[in-house]
Amino acid sequence: MCGIVGYIGERQARPILLNCLARLEYRGYDSCGIAVAGGNLQVHKDAVRVEALKEQLPRRLEGKIGIGHTRWATHGEPSKVNAHPHGDCTGKIAVVHNGVIHNYQQLRQKLIKEGHTFTSATDTEVIPHLVEKHFDGDLEKAVAKALAEMEGSYAIAVLMDGKAELIAARKDSPLIIGIGDGENLIASDVPAVLDYTSRVIYLEDDDIAVITGEGVRVKKNGETVDRKPQRVTWSVEDAQKGGYEHFMLKEIHEQPKVIRDTIRANLYTDETAADRDISEKVGAGEILMLACGTSYHAAMVGKYVLEQLFKVPVRTELASEFGYSGQTSSQTQAIVITQSGETADALKAIKRLRSEGCPVTVITNVVSSSATRIADHVVYTMAGPEISVAATKSYTAQLMALYWMSLFSARIDLRRKDSLIMELRQLPGKVQRVLDDEETIAQHAAQIAKHDNVFFIGRGINYPVALEGALKLKEISYIHAEGYAAGELKHGPFALLNGKAPVVAIVAPDNNYEAMLTNIKEVKARSSPVLALVEEGDEVVAEVADSVIVVPKVDPLFSPVVNAVVLQLLAYYAAKERGCPIDFPRNLAKSVTVE
Amino acid sequence: MKQAVILAAGEGQRLRPFTVNRPKVMLFIADKPILQYVIEALVQKGIRNIVLVVGYRKEQVLDYFGSGESFGVDLTYVTQERQLGTAHALAQAKAAIKDDFLVLPGDNLIAADTIDQFATIEPEAVLVKKVDNPMRYGVVTIQRGTVKEIIEKPEEAASNLVSTGIYSFSRAIFDFAEPQLDLPDVVNRMISQGHKIKAVETEGAWLDAIYPWDILNLNDAVLQQAQAKSGGTIEAGVSVKGQVSIGKGTVIRSNSYIAGPVVIGDGCEIGPSVCIFPATSIGNNVVISPFTEVKNSVIGSDVNIGSGGIIHDSVIDNSCQIGGRFAACSGQEEIAVNQEHHLVSFGAMLGEGCTLGNSVVAQPGVIVGNYSQIRSLKLLSGRLPDRSLVV
Repeated sequence: MCGIVGYIGERQARPILLNCLARLEYRGYDSCGIAVAGGNLQVHKDAVRVEALKEQLPRRLEGKIGIGHTRWATHGEPSKVNAHPHGDCTGKIAVVHNGVIHNYQQLRQKLIKEGHTFTSATDTEVIPHLVEKHFDGDLEKAVAKALAEMEGSYAIAVLMDGKAELIAARKDSPLIIGIGDGENLIASDVPAVLDYTSRVIYLEDDDIAVITGEGVRVKKNGETVDRKPQRVTWSVEDAQKGGYEHFMLKEIHEQPKVIRDTIRANLYTDETAADRDISEKVGAGEILMLACGTSYHAAMVGKYVLEQLFKVPVRTELASEFGYSGQTSSQTQAIVITQSGETADALKAIKRLRSEGCPVTVITNVVSSSATRIADHVVYTMAGPEISVAATKSYTAQLMALYWMSLFSARIDLRRKDSLIMELRQLPGKVQRVLDDEETIAQHAAQIAKHDNVFFIGRGINYPVALEGALKLKEISYIHAEGYAAGELKHGPFALLNGKAPVVAIVAPDNNYEAMLTNIKEVKARSSPVLALVEEGDEVVAEVADSVIVVPKVDPLFSPVVNAVVLQLLAYYAAKERGCPIDFPRNLAKSVTVE
Repeated sequence: MKQAVILAAGEGQRLRPFTVNRPKVMLFIADKPILQYVIEALVQKGIRNIVLVVGYRKEQVLDYFGSGESFGVDLTYVTQERQLGTAHALAQAKAAIKDDFLVLPGDNLIAADTIDQFATIEPEAVLVKKVDNPMRYGVVTIQRGTVKEIIEKPEEAASNLVSTGIYSFSRAIFDFAEPQLDLPDVVNRMISQGHKIKAVETEGAWLDAIYPWDILNLNDAVLQQAQAKSGGTIEAGVSVKGQVSIGKGTVIRSNSYIAGPVVIGDGCEIGPSVCIFPATSIGNNVVISPFTEVKNSVIGSDVNIGSGGIIHDSVIDNSCQIGGRFAACSGQEEIAVNQEHHLVSFGAMLGEGCTLGNSVVAQPGVIVGNYSQIRSLKLLSGRLPDRSLVV
């Protein structure tokens, strides 16, 4: 799970590579490097962020072809030698790689026996040596032969001194080619190239592309294939902070618009109608929902929504665990949620489900991502690119997709359906109200930030929101946080409660209200400070909790949206209070393309 | 001139309740914030490098304008943490300014012709305009084309030429821009030290909203220039006359009657049988139910208006939920804002997120604070604070 870039054209490659890399740092940022060819091949890399590398580079580093890499370590610690690009013995070939090569140990032993010298602990380094071994004047052929020996996943870019071409290839890792004017770019993801072009080719598995300044030629299994450039609708705007200190806060603030966009798209267009309709496919069976991380929390909310509106049993499982168990039947309709469409575990699950005869609907944010190519149906969340590692607007967009899917084929009476649609129309305004109340939430966050352990509790549809609130807090503020179903607190975690472990309780005025009230009292009896999220107009909870954050009134079915936004802001301001690098939390990267 | 600084940090306290959650520059006139008119005027004059001084509720500005990409400009944001004077606001922009530049207030609505010649003038200069009520503004006395003095809100105005707040400056201004001062004081100080400040008069539009009801006048003035445009669906039997702009995904249902100038945003559902008369602006994601009449009004986004309502000369802010048979008709009323009394004529001003039951009647000149809740069958009058509960 790294970011790779490449440039070939008329301009100096160096500033373009660095700019593209900076836009890919959400994929990993423990080390980075670039290789530029112009007369000779120069490689510069270190275990630093892109901004710092920029300062280290020598003044003279000229050339109009280059590749670059920003790393999230899987094999070998983050260090200068383990950073990409990696070279061969002759110093003429440079390779950047995203993915994992499973048989690299064997290849490495073999290559060492054949006289090759290795300098790093990475799996990637076998690639340049393999290319070197097979090279007989034709770089493309050499790369093809090297790839044939490798098992695992990869997106690579290969540069060779003296060759006016770049070779790119992919298998189970994302890779796109940006088509410019007299120049072309390679990148792991679209936002990297948006400054230069809005036309991209999405490479498919086993594609090998030869890229020059003038054109792109793609082969698959030796046959030339036609990969048409597509126009992307994302703009550079989406990939900039627009005055905000962090992408995360900007993306939190985009949520009213994200919701409003889904309203327009779902009420007034029929384009995606067929993909949203799950009623026929489900029949009398069940729905199985799979996802990882924040998407999994969205899936858990989806379970409550679908079961209420759709009246079929819904099962949710972690995509990363599904491979080890999980019975399916031909009556199972699967819904897989993955923001990037590249999550390795989700892709693996989709393949298995398809092979077992289950129709799969994918909910994803990235057009033409790997998941969209192997699923039966695709529902796009219209969140725009999400740069912050901590997912915020993509979670809301996933919920919106689930709400609209459920409403579209809901088995409820028309009056209830109409009133829910009316509620959805009001949701952007309600979320905006939470945002307008940011300062109050920041004050509560300052209190939370003083503690090292925080518990989040909720019941029913707000139980997954408690999990999400805890995940947000721990991933960006490094405060240890646990989410629990409020009823489970007594079964163990109670032992940890004391005056130094605050509890954040999400209280919705649904049929769980009384039970939540009881839970809060129990927590208070263990002297833990309680911060409660309550609906406006509620005066009861304020009397038992230490402090409250008031949220606007919504139908309980939609409370996970407004409550999650409150918890996102709580996490953001707690992390800010603690001085954490919010957009780039340690050890984490945006899309997990390795298992 | 390549650069401009727009002052967008102010609150606009007299415009409450509409400025509780947004700065004055983000008041929507004909579905665009005032600040957007200023930016568009600069773009038309080829000035794309813009420094925005933001402060009060700056997130609203950031969320709407972002990096400026979608507006064809390159925006740099600087924050004025505390709203001291306008000179202090300008001083925040010092590091981002390279050469001569324009300064514009972001909360006065202007058009491209307002700054026609001024956009290329050599510093230092101030843009002035003739107005009917100069005592509300900074009155400029001029001698042979140069400014003698700017007097803020004088008891007696020596001329009816006032400063538009639009200046052309060189970096020399930063030597005079002391934190506690406003820009007119700075200009006076420069004059007293021998600087020559040219006065240039404009015939172009220059509109200011000081009180909530001014929004209606601005809306009317801007809509006179509106162009017809349709991105939505218009069902059979709808009459559309005059300049009517309809946004993407909006549906106008059968038997509705729309007489322009009218602007309707994206994703709205209007009708069946709704009448909209001039000059009306409607935001995004708005629902107006059958048999409602809207005239000379400004409706925000995410608003839901029930059946059988009459809404005249009114401003309804974002996210209001209004039941059936709401009546807000115009009439004269005396209103006090900060101990100043005004004789005005309008229907109702509803703040953000208000919920109204059925058959609520608003007496002329009522101003309802944000997030107020009004039960059915209530008669509203006077001024209600934020979060009022009328039961």
